[in-house]
Amino acid sequence: MRLEGQVALVTGGSRGIGKGIVEAFVKEGAKVAFVYNSSKEAADVIVSELSANGEVFAIQADVKSKEAAQKAVDEVLEKWERIDILVNNAGIIRDGLLATMDEDDWCSVIDTNLNSVYNFTQSVMRPMMSQRSGRIINMSSVASEMGNQGQTNYAASKGGINGFTKCLAAEVGRRNITVNAIAPGFIETDMTEAVRNAAEGEIKKAIALRRLGKPEDIASTAVFLASSDASYITGQVIEVDGGLTLGGI
Amino acid sequence: MPTQDEIFKVVQETLEDALGVDDDEVTMDATLQGDLGAESIDFLDILFRLEKGFDIKIPRGELFPENLARADSSFVQDGKVTESGIAQLREKMPHADVDKLAENPAVANIADLFTVRMMVNFLNHKLNG
Repeated sequence: MRLEGQVALVTGGSRGIGKGIVEAFVKEGAKVAFVYNSSKEAADVIVSELSANGEVFAIQADVKSKEAAQKAVDEVLEKWERIDILVNNAGIIRDGLLATMDEDDWCSVIDTNLNSVYNFTQSVMRPMMSQRSGRIINMSSVASEMGNQGQTNYAASKGGINGFTKCLAAEVGRRNITVNAIAPGFIETDMTEAVRNAAEGEIKKAIALRRLGKPEDIASTAVFLASSDASYITGQVIEVDGGLTLGGI
Repeated sequence: MPTQDEIFKVVQETLEDALGVDDDEVTMDATLQGDLGAESIDFLDILFRLEKGFDIKIPRGELFPENLARADSSFVQDGKVTESGIAQLREKMPHADVDKLAENPAVANIADLFTVRMMVNFLNHKLNG
């Protein structure tokens, strides 16, 4: 098992990619706490399913709140006394053309996707610096590079994450903390359901591997980045998109 | 209440751990950046360790004020800290040897205000009043 005994905190862990990461981390021997916002039922199911094979617990928190983030981190520290891996995965979409985008749709995406990364990462700085080790994995998106119509808010939040990832990697490298981002392409989750329903055929044509990704594809990358195999990788945004962004013809 | 020697010992151990330096390098006159090689992230680490070591809270900017050498003509002119700048530094860093900086107020010398002695004096004041 590649993450034996490691303590991980995953935000947005009750659904989609986050859920896949929680499952993969537990399978690899990590003790996992995950944060969910509203999906209590889903969170309870995950805890009950995974508890047979490992240690896992769920924390309800609004990732937009710095105070809630600190509380969640404190809860993990109280229980397991360290945090080795933070996965900033929580994210939402509120697509719409900028010309008519409500301020609330802009702010809620930036707050949930980007400000949450600040909230949780700052909260784990102290324990990770004391430990002289840590892995921070931020969930970006190929949308940060692609220029999709209707995603100014989402792309801005993910582009922000890319910059954050590189700057923080430079800041904390000498404390043996790595900071990387994963930029998924089209992954089969609730978040992409509407787009998939409207244009799955077209989307697949744009992907070199001619299939949509699964949460497991992202989870395996997260496991790799969290494991000792990736100890010399930092400040990178790794595209896991089946070749969607190759851009060739 | 810890004595100055006891405080120095804790500071010495803190700096050994945080900066990976030897105890004989951590003298009272050693500068954190020039002599001990501290970088900006180290100051945060040192702060965390001191808070833990002494079981105190040190408000941000109190021990290690940030952005001292700002590009402001009232603070710095022609690469030198102005008299007004020196006065501001005395206020912000009452435990540092600002007199020494005043003798040669080159901006680059501001970093030398951060010495082991400054830390010990700060902590002595903080812990013993």
